[in-house]
Amino acid sequence: MESQPTVERRGCFPFTERASWEGSNIHSVDKIRGWNYWIFPPKSVDTDFLPPQRSPLSFTCLSGCLACCNHSAEDHHIIINRQWTIMPHLPNSPTAKPNYSSVWVAFVLLGISAINTQAKIAITVPQQVSLSANFSTQQLSISWLGGEATTFDLIILRTEFNETVFYDTVSAVLNQDGGQHQWTWTSVEPLECTSLSVKVRSREGKTISEWSEPQILEGRDLPSNSVRSMFPQDRTVPVGANTTFCCIVEEGKDFKSIFYGSTVMNVKRLSRRSYATTAVNQNMSGKSGTNVVCLSNDPSSLTGTVIFVGYPPLLSKFECETRDLIIAECHWEEGRSTNLYRKNAKHYSVNERDCPERQRCTLSQWDGNWTLLAVNPLGQYSLTDSAELSHRVHPVAPVKLTPVAHAWNATVLWEWTYSSYSSLALVCQVELASHNTMLGNFSGVGLRSAVLLDLQPDEEYKVQVRCGSQNNFWKWGDWSKALSFKTKPYVPDAPDVWMWMNRDNTGLVVWKPLTRRQSHGQIVGYKVTLWNSEENEQHTEILSPESKVLPVNLTRWASFSGDNKVIATVIAKNVEGMSQPASVLLRLIDDEPPALAQTVYTSTGFPLSWQHNDNSTCGYLVEWCNALCTRDCPVDWIRLDVGNTNISVQSADFQPGVRYNFSLYGCPSDFPVLTHRWQGYMQELAPSSSIRLEITQQGCDVVLTWEEIPLAGRRGFLLGYNVYISNGSQLTRLANLDLGTRTYIKKGLSVSIHKFTVKAYTSAGEDTGGTASIRLESCDGLILEILASLGMVTLLLATVAYFCYKKRRWVKKAFYPDIPEPKLPGDWFRTQGPLDVKPPPHSMVHIIEKPERDSSKDALVVIPEEEEDDGEGIGDEPVDTDEPQSLRYYNQVVDERPIRPRFPDSSVSSSSSVDSANTDVTYTGIQTSCSSLVFRSDSQCSSEGFQPHTGFSVSSGDRGGGYQPQMQPVALGGNLASPEPLVEPQVVSSGGYKPQSSWLLDSPTETDEKISPPPSLGSPTSVASTQFLLPDSEEHEEERRQPSSSAAAWFTNLLSSAKP
Amino acid sequence: MRGSDLRMTTVARAAAIAAQLQEECSILIEHYRKKENFPPDVSDGPLVSVPPPSSQLDTRDKLWRLHSALEQCHSLLERAIAKEEEELGGEEKGEYENRRKTVKERLLFLLNHTRELLRAADGSSIFTPSLDGSELDDPATLFQLKWWVYRIFMEVKYWSQTAIAVLQELQSDTAKTPSKLSKRSARR
Repeated sequence: MESQPTVERRGCFPFTERASWEGSNIHSVDKIRGWNYWIFPPKSVDTDFLPPQRSPLSFTCLSGCLACCNHSAEDHHIIINRQWTIMPHLPNSPTAKPNYSSVWVAFVLLGISAINTQAKIAITVPQQVSLSANFSTQQLSISWLGGEATTFDLIILRTEFNETVFYDTVSAVLNQDGGQHQWTWTSVEPLECTSLSVKVRSREGKTISEWSEPQILEGRDLPSNSVRSMFPQDRTVPVGANTTFCCIVEEGKDFKSIFYGSTVMNVKRLSRRSYATTAVNQNMSGKSGTNVVCLSNDPSSLTGTVIFVGYPPLLSKFECETRDLIIAECHWEEGRSTNLYRKNAKHYSVNERDCPERQRCTLSQWDGNWTLLAVNPLGQYSLTDSAELSHRVHPVAPVKLTPVAHAWNATVLWEWTYSSYSSLALVCQVELASHNTMLGNFSGVGLRSAVLLDLQPDEEYKVQVRCGSQNNFWKWGDWSKALSFKTKPYVPDAPDVWMWMNRDNTGLVVWKPLTRRQSHGQIVGYKVTLWNSEENEQHTEILSPESKVLPVNLTRWASFSGDNKVIATVIAKNVEGMSQPASVLLRLIDDEPPALAQTVYTSTGFPLSWQHNDNSTCGYLVEWCNALCTRDCPVDWIRLDVGNTNISVQSADFQPGVRYNFSLYGCPSDFPVLTHRWQGYMQELAPSSSIRLEITQQGCDVVLTWEEIPLAGRRGFLLGYNVYISNGSQLTRLANLDLGTRTYIKKGLSVSIHKFTVKAYTSAGEDTGGTASIRLESCDGLILEILASLGMVTLLLATVAYFCYKKRRWVKKAFYPDIPEPKLPGDWFRTQGPLDVKPPPHSMVHIIEKPERDSSKDALVVIPEEEEDDGEGIGDEPVDTDEPQSLRYYNQVVDERPIRPRFPDSSVSSSSSVDSANTDVTYTGIQTSCSSLVFRSDSQCSSEGFQPHTGFSVSSGDRGGGYQPQMQPVALGGNLASPEPLVEPQVVSSGGYKPQSSWLLDSPTETDEKISPPPSLGSPTSVASTQFLLPDSEEHEEERRQPSSSAAAWFTNLLSSAKP
Repeated sequence: MRGSDLRMTTVARAAAIAAQLQEECSILIEHYRKKENFPPDVSDGPLVSVPPPSSQLDTRDKLWRLHSALEQCHSLLERAIAKEEEELGGEEKGEYENRRKTVKERLLFLLNHTRELLRAADGSSIFTPSLDGSELDDPATLFQLKWWVYRIFMEVKYWSQTAIAVLQELQSDTAKTPSKLSKRSARR
C-alpha cells in the first residue's frame, strides 16, 4: 500500500556533514538509523545507511536525492535516482484490531491539516530572488526579500535535466540595509558547466509558503553558445584537493572521454552537452601543470584545461643584515617548494615593499623590524625579524690582496670596499693552503693586513681572507679571491746519511734525497767528502742532484789501515747555498754480527724492541734490506731518538715472500754499534722452489736424501719437511720431519716401483715438492750369498797359501829358478829402435770386449780355426786400432813345456826384446787395442777404459765387462825376490786375462815404462809363449757367485805348468 | 664557382637543413606530446596561411609559398616561446627548452637559405606576408597556449617536410635548366 508522504525533502545528506532534516524531525544521519522506516526499494542504497524497517511513519524521497556513504575506502557520492517511499508501519496482522485507532488518527491528521492551512495563509512567498555568481570560487550568492520568515527552503536544480543539486532549509542572513535575505552556496562543479535554477520559499516551523519563481544562472552549454569549452580554467589547488571539471562539447558533437593527465576519468552527465568528472586527492602537478583534456568524436575538437596542484608558501630563516653598515639586506629560504612555477604565482614583500627576487630583498634603510609576507594562490605566509644594525654586520670580501713574501714568513695586505669599515672592529680569518690548509685569526679596527709565520722556503701558498665584526659577531663575511704567492728559497737541510759496508772494506755512502720541504729550493748537487781523521786525508766528490749513493773503496787509500776512522760527510747545495754537513763513520765489519732474531710483521709493520742502555746518550738507527743481498745493498733506515726501545718498521717497499734483515745500531752518528739483528717476512709464502730429492736403495730400504732450499726460494721460514709416498694420484704422508732432518729411510717396502715426494713447508704452506721414484729390487738372500762366497774364497786362499808355504822350495824351483845373467854386448839394446814386429796373422789373439752383460753370451766365444783365417784381414790392419776388440781364445791348447823366463831382472829386456839367439820362445801373439803389449797398463790405456780394478763393485757392469791387463807388474815389480806370489787381490779383482805363470817377472817395471823405449813384441826370432790368457771368469755375475772358480782354474794351470 | 653551382650548393644545403629540422622537430613533438599527455591522434586546423597547393604552381611559386610558410612558422614559434616563458617562467632551462631553441634556430637557418634562393630567383627583395601580433589572437587559457604551441610544432614539422620535397624538386630542376629560375620574371 502506498501512503501519503508526510515529509517531502530533496537534497543531499552527506554522511560526514550530519545533515539534518528538520522538517521531518530527522536531525542527523546517525539518527536516521534510530528511526523506524519502511523504505522501498530497500536495496537501492548501502545497507549501512538504511534505517531499520520498523518505523510507523513514512515519507517519500523524490528522485535526485544525493546520499553519501563511507563504506569503502573512496568517498563516493551516490546518486539515488530511485524514488524512496517510506511507508507507515503497518500492523503485522492487517485485521488484528478494530478501526478505533484509525478514526483517532484521522481526526488528528485533520486537525494538523487545518492548522497548517491557517499557517500557509500567513507566510509570504519570497520576492525579488536574485543570483550573483562568482565563477572562480564557484559560489552562488542568492538574495531575496522574505518578509517575516526566518527560515527558508532553498532548492537548486540543474535546469536542463531538472536534477536537484541542493535542497535545504537555511537560516538566511538578513541584510539590514535593503531588508534582503542572502545565502551563498558553493557548487562542487564549476558554475559554467550547466544552467542552474534556484527557488526559495519561506518556512515557519512546518508552515511553508509557495516556491518563488525560479531564477536561472545560465551555463555555457546553452544552444546559443555552441563552442566547446572546459571548466575551470587554469585553476591552482592544494595537494590532496578534489576538483570537479566539466567539459561542454561542441554543438552537434558527441562526447568521448576526459583525461586527467594520462588517466581516463569517470564522467557524469550534467546536461545535454555538459559532462563532469572529479579528480580526488590530487598529487603535485608537473612544472607546467596537469592537463585535463576532453575528447569528442571529432579529432579536431580538442578542449581542455590546466590545473596546478601545489602548496601554499612556507618560508624559513628570514634574516636581515647589512653589508655596508647602511642598507638592510633581508633574505629567506623556502621551507618547502610550492611546486607553482607560473609567473606571478608567488609574491614576496618585506615591510610592504615588493621584493622582485625570490629569496632576498634589499631595503634602503635599517628599519630594525621586518615582516616578510609571501603570497601564492593557495595561501600566504609571513615571518618577522628584528635586530640592531651593529649586531647584523656581514662584512663583504676583502679586495686587492697583496703578498710580501720572505723565506720563512709573509705579509698579506688587503683593502675594503666600504670606507665605513675603517672604524669597524674586525676579526679576520686567513686561510693558508699549500700541502695542507691552515687557518689563522687576526683582529683589529679596520684590519687590512696579516703576518703569516712558520712558512716553508720556496713553497707555493694560496691565501684568502674573510672577516667578521669583532664586537657582536654575526657571521663571517665572504671569502676574498684566493691569492697565490711563493716564499723565497733558503739553504737546504742537512741530508740523512748512512752507509753500507761490505766485508772487503768497500761499501756505499747513502743518503736520503731531500724532500721539497727539506731542500728549500732547487738542489743543484751534493758534495761528499771522505775524511781519514787520523791520517788527515780526504777525498771529495761533487755529485749531481739526483745522486743518493756513493760507492767507496777504502782499500784504495794509501794511508788506510783497519784501525782508521773514515768519516763520510755529505753536503747538499741549492741556489741559496750549502746545507749543514751530515756525517757518518764508515764502520768496518770486524766482529761477528749478533744472531738474527725473528720478527713477525703486523698491520703496523715489523715490531722491533730492545733494551735501552742507560749509559747511552745516543740515539738509534734501524736499518733494513733484502736478506738476499750481500753486497752493496740498497739499505733503508730510520733514525730514532735516545730512549726509544721499540719501533714498528713500515715501508711501502716491503714485498711478500721476501726476507728482510733489520739491524739496530746505537750511536749511528758518532760510532755506530750493531747491537741487534732481526729478520722477518712481511708475508710468508709457500716456498717457490722445491727440494732436489735423491733416492737410493740400501738393502731392502729406500733412502731419501735432499738438500736445503736456497734462501731465495724459501719465501718464508721453513718449518720442516713432509715426506709423501705416491699411491696413484694420491699422496700419503709418511712423515713430518723437522728442519734439521734431510734424510729419510723407508723400510718394509715391497719389490715394486715406489714414488716419493718431499715437500718443504712454511707457515704459508708447502712447496710443490721434489719427487723421485725407485724400482726396489729383491733383497732376500743376497747378503747371505755374498757372505757365503766371501767365506769360500777366504778358505780357498788360505788353502793355496798354506800349500804354497809348504811347497815354497818347490815353487821357487819351479817358477823362479836361478838363471844366470845373460852376457850381452854393452849398449846395443838402447841403440835399437823399436822393432816393428808384426805378428803373423795366425798368431793373432783377438780380444772380445763385452761392454755390457748379456746373459745369452755369458761365455767367451771360441772361434774356430777357419775363422782365424778369416781374421787375416784384420791382422793386416794396425794392431792398435779402435775397432771393437775380439778375443780369439785357444781353449785348452796348452804347451806342456815349462815356461822359463829368461831375464827376470832385466829392466830393458821386456817381452819385446829378447835375444833370439838364446831363446826358443815363440810369441803367439797377444794384442790389445791400446797397445801391442798385453801387459802395459799405462795412462794411455786407462784413458781408453782399461784401468785396472782394485776393488769390488756390484754395479760395475760396464767397467768390468772388458778385459783387463794383468796386474802383476804393478804388484810384483819390486818384489822379484819374493817366492810367494801375491795373487789374492788379483784373483778377486781382475776382470781381464790373467797370466798362467809369472812370466811377467821378466817384464820391466811399470815405473820405467815412460822412459823405456816403446815396447816391441820381440825379435824376429819369436819367443814361444805358452802362456794362456784366461777369460774373465766368463761373467761377472758368475764370478760373484763362484769367486773360487777362476782361482781354481788358475791353480790347475799352475799345477800343470809346474809339471816337470 | 658559377652561379648555377652556387645555387645548387645552396639548394642542397637548404635541403639538408630541412631534413635536419624535420628530424629535430619530430623529436621535439614527441617529447612535448609525452610531456603534456596530448593524444596522438588529434589534429587541428593549420595555423599557417598560404595559397593552397596547386599543380599549376611552378617551382619558384612553390619556393615562395614555402618561404612564406616558414616565415610564418618562425614568427609563430618565436611568439609561442615568448608566451610560454611569460606564462610558465623561463628561468630553468631543461631538455624541452633546449630542443625548442634548437628547432627555432634551425628553422631560422632554413629560412635564410630559402630567402637567399628566392632572392637569387627574383633578383630583388621579396615580399611575404608577416604575422604580427595584431593578426592573431593569443591563446586565452594556458591549455590553449599549450595546444597552440603543439600545433606550431606540428606546422614546423609539416613545412620542413614540405621544404624537403620542394628543395629536392628545385634541385632536379636546377640540374636540368640552371638558368630557368633566374630567367623567369616575378609574377607577384
